[in-house]
Amino acid sequence: MIKVKDIIKSYGNGESSSQILKGISLEIQDGDFVVILGASGSGKSTLLNVISGLERPDSGKVFYDATDITALSDNQLTAFRKENIGFIFQQYYLLPDMSVDKNVKMGADLAGNKDYKTVIKAVGLGEKLHKYPGELSGGEQQRVSVARALAKKPKVLFLDEPTGALDEQTGRQVLDYICKLKKQYGFTIVMVTHNLNIAEMAKTVVKMNSGKVSDIYQNEVQKTAYEIGW
Amino acid sequence: MLIGIKNASKFIGISIIVCCAVVICTMFLNFYFDVQSVESQITSELSMIFYDAQVSTAKVVCMVSGGCLLLTSVVMLMFYIKHYIDTHKKELGILKALGYSNIKVAKHFWVFGMTALMGTVIGFGIAFLMMPRFYALQNEDKMLPEIVIHFHPAVFLYFVILPTVGFSLLAIGYAWWKLKRPVLSLLRNDFHSVDKGKKRTDDKLSERSFVDDLKRSTLKSKKALDFFIIFASFCFSSMTQMSFSMKDLSSEMMGAMMLVIGLALAFTTMFLAITTVIGGNTKTISMMRAFGYSSKDCCKAILDGYRPLSYMGFAVGTVYQYALLRIMVDIVFKDVEGVPVYKFDVPVMLVSLVVFIAAYEILMFVYSEKVKKISIKEIMIE
Ligand SMILES: Nc1ncnc2c1ncn2[C@@H]1O[C@H](COP(=O)(O)OP(=O)(O)O)[C@@H](O)[C@H]1O
Ligand SMILES: [Mg+2]
Repeated sequence: MIKVKDIIKSYGNGESSSQILKGISLEIQDGDFVVILGASGSGKSTLLNVISGLERPDSGKVFYDATDITALSDNQLTAFRKENIGFIFQQYYLLPDMSVDKNVKMGADLAGNKDYKTVIKAVGLGEKLHKYPGELSGGEQQRVSVARALAKKPKVLFLDEPTGALDEQTGRQVLDYICKLKKQYGFTIVMVTHNLNIAEMAKTVVKMNSGKVSDIYQNEVQKTAYEIGW
Repeated sequence: MLIGIKNASKFIGISIIVCCAVVICTMFLNFYFDVQSVESQITSELSMIFYDAQVSTAKVVCMVSGGCLLLTSVVMLMFYIKHYIDTHKKELGILKALGYSNIKVAKHFWVFGMTALMGTVIGFGIAFLMMPRFYALQNEDKMLPEIVIHFHPAVFLYFVILPTVGFSLLAIGYAWWKLKRPVLSLLRNDFHSVDKGKKRTDDKLSERSFVDDLKRSTLKSKKALDFFIIFASFCFSSMTQMSFSMKDLSSEMMGAMMLVIGLALAFTTMFLAITTVIGGNTKTISMMRAFGYSSKDCCKAILDGYRPLSYMGFAVGTVYQYALLRIMVDIVFKDVEGVPVYKFDVPVMLVSLVVFIAAYEILMFVYSEKVKKISIKEIMIE
């Protein structure tokens, strides 16, 4: 279980300093599918980065079971991410000079996963192992980044607007792959979006408004990527 | 302004190399012209032989070092313009999309010629400051009548005006040629052109770890950087070793000059190359850090691949300086008496190697500290 307690985070200093996260607390159960929903600029990405250990909060704690990751040293935090966390960003950040299978290997090597090609097949890119990112469409690139994140067998998968750069059709497809793989592997999902419809796929929805949690609720039925509006 | 000062500051490296080239070439070419004015006053045969040797040395040094350095600065300039365009593709694409013509955008690249001007003017000045001592040393034994320093407009034209104009045109031309691409390909994100003929079936080799793969692809993707790293070590090795032999063969001053120029060249080139390597891989490094690769792994993948190259450069430099001095002593100075015997200097080579290894490893250590400081958030800042 992930327990987030009283997170405060500001950027800048002195006069120009502004508080982006103004005391955020929430709990995420193992195997949950959480969507963090909010307008652009409300601090969603910042919160995601703090929970996933990419950034340190000014104050507050983030517990993974009994471990407070805000108390870890940089090296310990790196090792922690290696063991537990997978990322998917709006921009895919693939390595342009490496083929699809080598991009996925970046994730696989961290978990000593020799069987990473099955993950590439699972996102439907079995035929494109040796292609380079520049030769793929946006949706395909995002699926590579899904495969890369899953090949390291994360316990928690963090996604920051994963469909933000994709059109509706490809967006649905990518989300569908992610849900299918969640069923198969059983990881926890924490996804950031400003798209209300995507929130209908979640089990838990956390609504954010200018640095604060304004509402948390559970969806009674979780819709699939093809059932939601867009 | 299209090209900011911040970018131009990267070109100081080119200025330094151009400056070194101009110092050497100006001194020797000026000497070459001035020494000819005393030819008619030479009476003894011995002096004549000495005179001929001086003239050929001036020519050889001017051509070998000047040509070599000029070539390096041209390659460097090209590389940095390419790098600049690649990293500013979007801005350039937007300008083009707004309707600026290629040549209108490319014209701004004349600024890069200023880096050459800075180097040439400073180099020219230094050369003239050093010339009195240089002339005196060349004629230490008073074998020739007194050689007076003249200002030759041709030298100024060759080494100040032409390089500046040439570099400006080169920059504009290259930028223009690069800009001929369609707007969309400039605007599109990380569009990577792949040569379709490339073999992609090294499946057997794919047992290599990701870090090893990345090491290889870093080396492969920017060949110009590989060249600079080899060149930097080559400079270090050849110039330091040659400077010690020069001390015996020619004069202390020649030796010292060579040492200073060699070190300046080696360090600027190395510094610029490694900075570019790290700058170009910032996103990769921060992505790796986000995924949980240790900073040690990142350094290994990005920096370690260059080690063999730089040692290779050192070896080539050692051979090169030996061959060059052999030729100088055996052919150019063949008839001149009193030229010391030249042998390959093992102790000097060893000292130079040890200093080289120490300097290289310290540099790598400093840079690995820099890699460690790359923030993971770097990826999210577009
Ligand atoms: N590194 C940073 N430095 C300064 N301000 C930042 C930084 N990162 C984010 N911000 C600011 O924090 C606010 C919230 O950003 P973010 O968490 O990215 O919001 P969201 O993801 O909800 O759009 C924005 O106003 C943004 O300008
Ligand atoms: Mg965001």
